[in-house]
Amino acid sequence: MDLAQFFDILWSVRWPILSGIGVTALVSALAIIAGSFVGVFVGLALTYGVLPLRWLARVYTDFIRGTPVLVLVLASFYILGTIGLQLSAFQAGVLALAVFCSSHVGEIVRGALQAIPRGQTEAAKAIGLTFSQTFSYVLMPQAGRQIAPAWVNTAAEIVKASTLLSIIGVAELLLATQEVIARTFMSLPFYFHAGFLYFCINFSIERLGKYVEKKLAIPQS
Amino acid sequence: MGTKSILAGLALALLFSATSASAQTSKLDEVLARGHLVVGTGSTNAPWHFKSETDQLQGFDIDIAKIVAKGLFDDPEKVEFVLQASDARIPNVVTGKVDITCQFMTVTAARAQQIAVTIPYYREGAGLMLKADSSYADYDALKAAGSGVTIAVLQNVYAEELVRQALPEANVDQYDAQDLIYQALNAGRADAVATDQSSIAWFLVQQPGQYKDGGYGWSPQTYSCAVARGDQEWLNFVNTALHEAMTGVEFNTYAASFKKWFGVDLAPPKIGFPVEFQ
Repeated sequence: MDLAQFFDILWSVRWPILSGIGVTALVSALAIIAGSFVGVFVGLALTYGVLPLRWLARVYTDFIRGTPVLVLVLASFYILGTIGLQLSAFQAGVLALAVFCSSHVGEIVRGALQAIPRGQTEAAKAIGLTFSQTFSYVLMPQAGRQIAPAWVNTAAEIVKASTLLSIIGVAELLLATQEVIARTFMSLPFYFHAGFLYFCINFSIERLGKYVEKKLAIPQS
Repeated sequence: MGTKSILAGLALALLFSATSASAQTSKLDEVLARGHLVVGTGSTNAPWHFKSETDQLQGFDIDIAKIVAKGLFDDPEKVEFVLQASDARIPNVVTGKVDITCQFMTVTAARAQQIAVTIPYYREGAGLMLKADSSYADYDALKAAGSGVTIAVLQNVYAEELVRQALPEANVDQYDAQDLIYQALNAGRADAVATDQSSIAWFLVQQPGQYKDGGYGWSPQTYSCAVARGDQEWLNFVNTALHEAMTGVEFNTYAASFKKWFGVDLAPPKIGFPVEFQ
C-alpha cells in the first residue's frame, strides 16, 4: 500500500472525516452527560430509595443492562415512532446511548455509595444535615473517588457503542470512514485510521478521568 | 441473533399498524403536499449509492430516486435522502420513515410479503473480471483450465458455491474485503475475481484498459425499489415513473445514468409496437 497515496486521499476527505469525528464526539458527549446525570439519580434510588422506587430502579437497570445496545438503538428509532414519538436518527441514537449509559452509571454510583461506611450517614444526621446536604458534602466527595475509574470505562464504552448508530444512518465516524472506503477501496488503511481516531477520543476521556481522580484524591502529606 | 433477524421481527410486528394507518389517503398525495420525496438509501456501495469526492451522494440508485422525484415535481433535486444500512431497508419503509427505498434491493418472494416491490430497474448477476493482459482470454478459457485457475471472491457463506456454479473445478480464495480481491488479482495471486456484474462494470469505467470482463454472467437477481404495502396508487405511480424511464419519455435520463455508472450504451426501445408485448 502506497503511503503517499493514502495521505493524499486522506487529505481530500478531511472534511467528511472531521464531520464524522464531530458527530461521534457530539453524540457521545450528549449521551454521557445526560446518562451520567440520570444515572446518579438511578444510583440514589437504588441505594436510598423507598421500596417501590428502589424496585422500579432495579427493574430499569437490570432490563437496560441486559439488553444489547443495538436493540436499544433500533427500539428508540422504530418502536417509539409507532407510539407517536417521531425522533430523528440522531435523537433516537442519543436517547438509546443515554439510557444505556444511565443504567451503568446507576450501578457504579450504587456500588460507590454502598462502599461508604454507614457511620458517615449517621454522623451527618447527628449534626443535623438534610439528605441533600449529606449527599453533596459527605457522600458524593467520597463516592467520587470510587466512581471516577469506572465512569471512564463506561464513557469509553459509549464512544465505541456510538458506531452502532451507523445502522440507522447517523453519519458518525465509522459511517464516514465506510463512505470513503466505498469509493477508494482502501479498507485496511482507513479502518486502521478510524481505529486510531477512536483510540484518541477514548484516550482523552481517560486523561480527563485521571485528572478528576487526582482532584478528588485525599492529599498525601 | 443478527441485526437482520431483529429487524425482520420488528418489521413484522409493526406491519399491521403501519399498513392500516396509510389506508386512508395515498402516499402520493402526502408526498405532493410535502413538496419533496423522502428516499431511503445507503452511502457505502459504489456504483449504487456512495459519496463523491465533494461529499455528495451519487450512483445508480440515487439517479433512480431522482427520476421518481422528477416525475413528482418536475425537479430531480426535490429529494431528501435518508441514510440507512442494508438491514434497515425494509423496516424504514414499513414504519413510514421513508416514502420509498432505492438501495440495490434484491427482490425475493419472502421480502414481497413485508413490502411492495416496484418493477425492476436493473438485473444483477455474478461475473468474472480478469486483468487485461491475462493469459486467459475469457470465461471459456478459465473453464477449460479447470483446477489450474484461482478465483478470488469476497468472503461469504455462499461464495464458494457461487464460483463453483460457473467454474466447477477452480480453486476459490476468499477474502475479507472487496479491495483485497482486487489486490489478489493485481498481485497475480488470483487469475480472476468473481463479483457482482455492476462492480465489474464500475471498475472498468474507472480504470479503462486495465481489466476485462470474462463475458459470462450467472446467478441472476432483480433490483427494485420498495414502498409500503397497501397503497396501490403510490406503487402504481412509482412503477409508471420507472417504466417510462426505461421505455418512454425519461429514457435518455436513464440511459445516461446507465452509461455513467456501468459504461454501457443502451439501445433506445424500438419505436412502434410497445416492447413490453413482444
